[in-house]
Amino acid sequence: MSLRRFFFSFPIFFTVFLLQEAFVTQMRLPAGGINLLLVVALIWAALSTPEIGALTGFGAGLMMDVSQTSPGPMGHWTLVLIVACYVIAFLGYGDDNIRGNPINIVFLTTIGVVAAQTVFLILGIMLGQEIGSVKQVLLVLAGSAFWTAIISPLILKVVSYFHAIIFGERSHI
Amino acid sequence: MRYGGDNRGRLLIIVLLVTSLFLITLDLRGVQVIDGLRTGTQTALTPVQKLGSWVVSPFRNFISDVTHLGRTQNQMEKLRAENDRLRLALQNRETADAQLKQLKSVLNLAGTAGYKVVNAKVISQGSSTSFSQTITIDAGTTSGVHTNMTVLSGYGLVGVVKYAYANSALVQLASDPAFKIGARIAGTQQIGILSGQGTRKGVLQLLDNTTQVRKGDVLLARGSQNGRPFVPGVPIGEVTSVDNSPGAVTQTADVKFYSNFSTLGIVAVVVSGSSADPRDALVPPKPQPTPLPTVTIYATPGAVEPSPTPTR
Repeated sequence: MSLRRFFFSFPIFFTVFLLQEAFVTQMRLPAGGINLLLVVALIWAALSTPEIGALTGFGAGLMMDVSQTSPGPMGHWTLVLIVACYVIAFLGYGDDNIRGNPINIVFLTTIGVVAAQTVFLILGIMLGQEIGSVKQVLLVLAGSAFWTAIISPLILKVVSYFHAIIFGERSHI
Repeated sequence: MRYGGDNRGRLLIIVLLVTSLFLITLDLRGVQVIDGLRTGTQTALTPVQKLGSWVVSPFRNFISDVTHLGRTQNQMEKLRAENDRLRLALQNRETADAQLKQLKSVLNLAGTAGYKVVNAKVISQGSSTSFSQTITIDAGTTSGVHTNMTVLSGYGLVGVVKYAYANSALVQLASDPAFKIGARIAGTQQIGILSGQGTRKGVLQLLDNTTQVRKGDVLLARGSQNGRPFVPGVPIGEVTSVDNSPGAVTQTADVKFYSNFSTLGIVAVVVSGSSADPRDALVPPKPQPTPLPTVTIYATPGAVEPSPTPTR
């Protein structure tokens, strides 16, 4: 049943994808900016069961992969996000200390974004991609952590609201 | 309570992971569908992105202004654009100056000999990885350029037109290993065959073994019937060393081409030769040695060198 409900979340993620591609990428925020789709997917996963988390990662990863700005092969982000969203959902599921506390979710999401980008980078190196200088990589990772920590508290309420509409009031913060 | 997962959940995770790995494999193998998916997405997103750019630009400018501490984006964009324009103009000017110099010298050479020429720009340098030396010029059959016509630079022979197309032509350079030309030594009129070696040096093989060739001798094209492929009198190069091995059937010499094939910008294709052979008229003048001023110092024996006196 929850799998069927999961498909109702597609319009939400598609809207976030459009927002990311049409608006966020054009803002040219300093230090690499933010990936809104990644943040929303991780917050969504933190509020879901591990299966839904993995499915969310799969869907969001596919959207990130079809983006022209994605440097890796198709499936690169998908693989990373399946694992990242599953782990985040696994950590939060059944632990009300994490799920019930917005600060914990923001912290988890921030760590998740940095971890996902690091895994993406390592996979990229293994697939023969150029990653640039270490300084630039560190700057982007730090920038992502900063922007995620800023943005996720602002959108947490909205994401949790839509999550509650689809999956029930239990996940509402 | 910690989540332990069930078989269905594990199966789902495995299926998702395998799917993503399958996608990576397909993409790395260059499957067209995957490429098409990205291109299609980008095509569909372009109008949305344009709209986004229009909507976001005020915010973007605001963020940029904040980031640049008061320097307005407009000013910076204007200065950057002006800077780019000036840099481009300067580069174009330098290129134009160099091309003008080459054009002047090639016209001088052709004018002295009385050749009718078509000037052309070198538009590409052929790859030497295929072991051939060619250039492509921007003049073709519509400009009167046909196969087997001599190509000149301001310094002398460049090569011969190998293929002529409507608006371009492929020129085989004199340095091409397959290139051969009948040459004569200016002054003595000894004749031989010069072959390209893939570098700026060629090898001259004299037909008459009894005559002598010397270092510094100038080689000119002997010319072909009706001036094709080679018009007579075109300077080719200068002898740099002579191989006088005893017992050799023919005398050979190394020749350095006058034209530098790697810096060709403007060339001229000889569409018709002069009515009379220019003979040695195109031999480049020998460089005049520049006198070096010498300084002579006379030293007088016994003269006391002035020593510095300390001041109090």
